[in-house]
Amino acid sequence: MTTDGLALATRGLVKRYGTRPALAGLDLSVPSGVVYGFLGPNGAGKTTTMRLLTGLIHPDAGSIEVLGRPFGRGDRHRLFEVGALIESPSFYPYLSGLENLRALAATGAPTPRGRIEELLELVGLRERARDKVQTYSLGMKQRLGIAAALLGDPRLLLLDEPANGLDPAGIVAMRETLRHLASTGKTVFVSSHVLGEIQQLADVIGIIASGLLVREGPIEQLLQGEGEVRVRVAAEELEPARTALAALVPDGGVTQSGDDDGWLTVRIDAARAAEVNRTLAGAGIYASGIEAGSDLESLFLELTRGESVGHEGTFFGVAGGSR
Amino acid sequence: MRIFVATLRKLVRRPASFVTLGLLIGLLALILIAVSAAASQPGASPQERQGLLLVTFPGAYTIILSFILGLGGLFAVIYGAAVAGSEWTWGTLKSAVARGESRSRYQLLSFAAIALMIGMGMLIAFAVGIAVAVVGANIAGVSTAGIGDSETLGTLPELLGKGWLAIVEEGALGFAIATLARSQLAGIGAGIAFFFGEQFAALFLPDVVKYLPFNAANAIVTTPGEGGFSGGGGGGPEVASLAPDQALLVVLAWLVGSILVATLFTERAEISG
Repeated sequence: MTTDGLALATRGLVKRYGTRPALAGLDLSVPSGVVYGFLGPNGAGKTTTMRLLTGLIHPDAGSIEVLGRPFGRGDRHRLFEVGALIESPSFYPYLSGLENLRALAATGAPTPRGRIEELLELVGLRERARDKVQTYSLGMKQRLGIAAALLGDPRLLLLDEPANGLDPAGIVAMRETLRHLASTGKTVFVSSHVLGEIQQLADVIGIIASGLLVREGPIEQLLQGEGEVRVRVAAEELEPARTALAALVPDGGVTQSGDDDGWLTVRIDAARAAEVNRTLAGAGIYASGIEAGSDLESLFLELTRGESVGHEGTFFGVAGGSR
Repeated sequence: MRIFVATLRKLVRRPASFVTLGLLIGLLALILIAVSAAASQPGASPQERQGLLLVTFPGAYTIILSFILGLGGLFAVIYGAAVAGSEWTWGTLKSAVARGESRSRYQLLSFAAIALMIGMGMLIAFAVGIAVAVVGANIAGVSTAGIGDSETLGTLPELLGKGWLAIVEEGALGFAIATLARSQLAGIGAGIAFFFGEQFAALFLPDVVKYLPFNAANAIVTTPGEGGFSGGGGGGPEVASLAPDQALLVVLAWLVGSILVATLFTERAEISG
């Protein structure tokens, strides 16, 4: 498989903790200049992947390419062009935000003069830059962590749950910043389980479950055909409506709400909502309500359900088909 | 070099630096003043009068340094462990490694900065100790004429150099223990346990204990048979000390060994948290 044009690629990445596999052959392909959303339930292997990508741990098998070149033990210089925020932001609590950034700037690639002040301004911490980090809120630490990741003006940015602890304004500002970075040709790899945030932010997503990539691609493309249309009809018309709509979708594509409230869910591209309505009307049934959507959550839950990815167990405690 | 300077800046701002030094100086001053006061009482026993050796120059120079290496050894091991352990506990080592920094270089330069801080702390404690000893001598009515003894003053740089090496070795031990424990608290706890464990081991392994880090460190500045003020653990059994030159080699071995262990472990460690 070629990795040309990719900012980040992993092939057959395996990592075990004792006998427990954390990654079971992960193949990621992250194109350059995009925001890539890396999604997965707790314990799926997201953080393990992030640690591998930053050389904190080493794989048992498989390979990693960072910015088009192999990355392994002894290739630490490759990280000079990478900025990372892994898990919670890490700082010396007794130092100020400014001093922490200065201490971090002494490691890795040299940091241009004036860069620290510029970043403190960017993340909105200029006023509190001389306060000790131990007095910062979680959101402020997170913003400082993002500033730390940007210290070396990296071509590839790896962020683990960057919106964690941010207030709504902070989330919007972070989203705009990351979108701006991607527009300048940088690649932003964001690991998260906040699906709404990723849906608004990412160009491309990869979904991981049980240490394997279960879906990857441009978000719009993946959501096409993953949508659903919900219609509400009178209780006595549920069965005829179900029969009529079954012609539009494959077997099992029409399900009835467990609450018996007249809602039917049709697994169909949200753009075909009018067609659903027309089909019902053609059968002499008029919907009293219609909703359409193609959300990442549906796709995510479908893909990360234990049985759907060929592994035992369930994720998020989701069992069966309930949502 | 950037890491060395940055670590020095961090250590200068770190409360643990001041607390450790403050405790050492406080205890040193307290003991010197208390001994002087007790010895100067009209009804002081001959044993109490012997305590005046602490404030009698030029011998006080060696005894004070020996005290710093004794009790200071405990503080050095705690300090080394606190600094190394916090890098793992706070995740700051993780941030440096994720920026492409060499793990070995980071550890070595961090330790070099710790060694310099320990050296400065030792000098400050020594200077304060001498000043307090002069005060104590005045309280006890002991002459301070020996303070300018040129022969002793001539040996001071070498003594201080050896003392620095000894206390840095103790700091290195704490640094290595905390690195292996990957934790500040566990490192400090294990360091303290090692310190007192060594005192305790003298009961059972007197021939072995002299080669252990704290005893060897004290032997560097203590002439065999002189006794000195090595009882950092307090009142431990008498242990035959190594000759200073032999002790120097043992201390160097512990120092290099500790740093190597810490560096190699960090190089190979899987960093998480």
